[in-house]
Amino acid sequence: MEIIVQDIIRQLIKSIKVIQLYGINHPSARQSYQPFFETLTGFLKNSGQIELAIEQYSISHDNQVIYQEREKDISIAFRLFRDGVRNIKITDGLEFDEMILFLEVMSQATREQDIALNLWECNFSHIDFYVIEEEDEDLNYELPVQEIKNIDLNAKLANIIVKEKLDMNEPIDLTLSEAELESLKTQMAHESREASLSVAISTLINFLQHDKSPEIIDSLTEMLAQCIDQHEFYNARLIVVSLNEYAKINAIDKYEKENIILDFKNFINTISDENLNQFLAFISLFSKKSLSYFIRLMPSVQRTERLEKLQDNVAYIAQSDYQPILIFLQSNNTDLIINTIAVLSRLDAEEIVGLLDPLCDYPRPEVRCSVIQAFEVFKQAARIAHFIGDEEAMVRIKAFQTLTVLNYPAIYNRLIARIKSRVFIDLELTEQKETFNCLVANGGQGLIKILKKMLFRWVLFGRKRYRITRKLAASALADINTDESRAILEQGMKKRNPTVKQACESALKQ
Amino acid sequence: MSIYSTGKNIISLFYALEKAVQVYDLRNDVVTGTAKKFGHILRTLLNIYPQVELVRYREYVFFNKQRLRFEIDGYASLQFIHDKMKQLRIRSLIILPGINEEELILLCLALKKNRDEFPSEFNAKRFAYVRIEYTDAEEETPDFLADGQRVKRIYFKALKVTKNLMNNLWKNQSVDVKSSKRVVHSLVNALSQDEFGLLALTAIKNFDEYTYNHSLNVGILALALAQRIGFSKKSLAKIGTAGILHDIGKVSIPRDLIYKPTRLSEQEWDILKHHSEYGVKQIIKTRGLDETGITSLIVAYQHHWNYDFSGYPFHGKETLQSTFAKIVRICDSYDAMTTARIYQPVPYIPSIAIRVIWKLSGQCFDPLLAKVFIQLLGLYPIGSCLEMSDSFVGLVIGQNEGYPTQPTVKIVATMQKDSIDGPIIDLSVDKGHKIIRAVYPQQYNINPADHLT
Ligand SMILES: [Fe+2]
Ligand SMILES: [Fe+2]
Repeated sequence: MEIIVQDIIRQLIKSIKVIQLYGINHPSARQSYQPFFETLTGFLKNSGQIELAIEQYSISHDNQVIYQEREKDISIAFRLFRDGVRNIKITDGLEFDEMILFLEVMSQATREQDIALNLWECNFSHIDFYVIEEEDEDLNYELPVQEIKNIDLNAKLANIIVKEKLDMNEPIDLTLSEAELESLKTQMAHESREASLSVAISTLINFLQHDKSPEIIDSLTEMLAQCIDQHEFYNARLIVVSLNEYAKINAIDKYEKENIILDFKNFINTISDENLNQFLAFISLFSKKSLSYFIRLMPSVQRTERLEKLQDNVAYIAQSDYQPILIFLQSNNTDLIINTIAVLSRLDAEEIVGLLDPLCDYPRPEVRCSVIQAFEVFKQAARIAHFIGDEEAMVRIKAFQTLTVLNYPAIYNRLIARIKSRVFIDLELTEQKETFNCLVANGGQGLIKILKKMLFRWVLFGRKRYRITRKLAASALADINTDESRAILEQGMKKRNPTVKQACESALKQ
Repeated sequence: MSIYSTGKNIISLFYALEKAVQVYDLRNDVVTGTAKKFGHILRTLLNIYPQVELVRYREYVFFNKQRLRFEIDGYASLQFIHDKMKQLRIRSLIILPGINEEELILLCLALKKNRDEFPSEFNAKRFAYVRIEYTDAEEETPDFLADGQRVKRIYFKALKVTKNLMNNLWKNQSVDVKSSKRVVHSLVNALSQDEFGLLALTAIKNFDEYTYNHSLNVGILALALAQRIGFSKKSLAKIGTAGILHDIGKVSIPRDLIYKPTRLSEQEWDILKHHSEYGVKQIIKTRGLDETGITSLIVAYQHHWNYDFSGYPFHGKETLQSTFAKIVRICDSYDAMTTARIYQPVPYIPSIAIRVIWKLSGQCFDPLLAKVFIQLLGLYPIGSCLEMSDSFVGLVIGQNEGYPTQPTVKIVATMQKDSIDGPIIDLSVDKGHKIIRAVYPQQYNINPADHLT
């Protein structure tokens, strides 16, 4: 049995150390307390309980020393002994959460922490401990004598009753209705730690408006750290803004550090949408100093809509000066380039276009796509038109899509030529479709006629293969959706050629 | 499950079975089902404990030495078991390993009898696994509470720590945060063992200078109230500390103003009112901004706010008063009203202060918390001096749960002002005695402190 107990103690000490190093949520902490929990509960199942006696530098079980450490700074025994804990008893039924709580308290080693008090606050169900009481020398308080001289107490009593307008016989109903009990419970539920922190913050901000003493400023600064640590960005923002407004203090400066900003990746994918918005509002308070760190944070953001929001906010920071991030355009890291382009494209500065020109031939197609996207923002249709001859399908498609949106009639003839060309038939359907979409969007007066021609009369290269062109033309006609285009489709329905008929039929359905 | 929640569970099953036995045939599923559940939990417990013991003492029910609180949840069942034990003069009910459903049902049947029939009925059934001890005329203290001096020691220790804390701040010296935390910790423990004992000490007042004694009393009253509405231990530690520190801002105000023997001028009042704001800064300085510090800060700032949004420091309606501050608001007012001070040589008697709290509930005080507060102290709180219908004078020494107008009194004097060592009367049981009115104890030369410690 002693061997198991020694094992338990060894695992306990190890878990505490790991938690002190990495925090309770770290995987390596879990790796050490999971087996501790299993060994401990296994032992408890057989023996019902485990009772540990604490001495100054050692811990004993059944009068046998099972742990000894005389180094005060690391000795678990000493830490417990110092705070008056003399005995710890753990009984069968110990729950996982209890153990976690227990380990958390035990790993708080700072001098200010009172382990006995912290254990007590946990209100464990299966962990009992005995704490010695400090005996105090002289606690003799005399019983006070309550003398009242020369006052008519009867009159005084009557006076008070009159003054307070009291009816001493009025019945008082003390029953609490269901609704009242419920409301009492809700009231209590609202007293969360977060709520208290908010109230304390707004109280101190109130102070700050007329009292700029160091205590107030330091406390707000400390609360800012707490807020950031606990991802309460609404309050964090409030503090930064107030310190700036009322005390001309830049509280954000301290947080514009590479490691701090890169650490945001730990929660940016997981916090709630509401909290993300608060976070984004908060980071818009950062200065251009932090721009490059934010760009480097972006590749860790997994959800597109979150990434885009982040880019919006970083662009907001970059508004006054985007120079710090231009360096990334020369980077070897595609992700960084793309994110930089995305941020730049959100800036209201025409000269960005010129900065992006050199990237039009960038080897990676993803980069070329994001250049197109940026050009779209700056309405650079002519520049985008160059990309319809790109070697990569994804780049061409992006270009067609963009030109569809932008409306660039100059592209019309080139599109017709493309569709008529031999290679068109061999392209992926997506690209073919996007080409037609682009055609419809930018088509001139002759468009319907040409489409009609494609639908009815074109004889291209072999029967099978022009079925698709017919289909696309029919669908384009449906997209145009005018009386004229619909009439053509209905006319097509009567044709004997089954491919024409089919194409018209499905186009009309859409 | 903690021993505490297990206790509550036992009580509610006991209550359910007692009710079931009253209503249904004994072979009904409700009876057998409840008995089965009750038996099961008892047997599980008896694997760990040598016996399961319910003790009634001074209006409390103890489950294996742990006092069960009258809380929102399970109030009715605890009240029922308590009243049953009181009515049948059962001091303790002990259940031994081996208990079965049959005996549990028989026990509940026996409990239906009245005070005179019960003992013979109980004996006749020859229970093998149930023991009962009866109360003598004079309630004796159960062993585990015998050390009545303990609560007093804790109170005085707390008073000393409070005094040191405020004194050191006054002198701008560093304070011992750890010992003030410890004190709150022991107060919570004391409260769960002997609420009356501790509340009685708050009723005595003026062991030391007003500010210290008042601060501690507010802390204790706030703790007792918070415990009633089911605060966790952690929250109790917060409210206890916040209560003790609520007036800490007064150390930033010149001493001669605090101790000024005459009424204060308007200007002087305005200065004094700043103690709420000063309190915030003192707490930042001494307590730091851990959770307890933050709660204390809020309470110091808001403890003169009223339920109707009036009060100082001025505040709009957008910030709601914290429940912690609402609790302290009530306890603070009550203790201030009932304590003699230099410029208020004759304080309000407790029952008048209670009426004032009731009257101002909804105005100054949260009406629900005010109700709970009055439930806690009763209409004649401990220490009240009462003229009785039989021309004796009694001193309230205990409350009876659920009977706020019928406390337990000790007869201490005659109407002719002769002090006597009279009996203790539980007015909720002994209906022959009526309260005429509450008066100042000094009117009968009574010093409540002599009887309450
Ligand atoms: Fe105050
Ligand atoms: Fe006060």
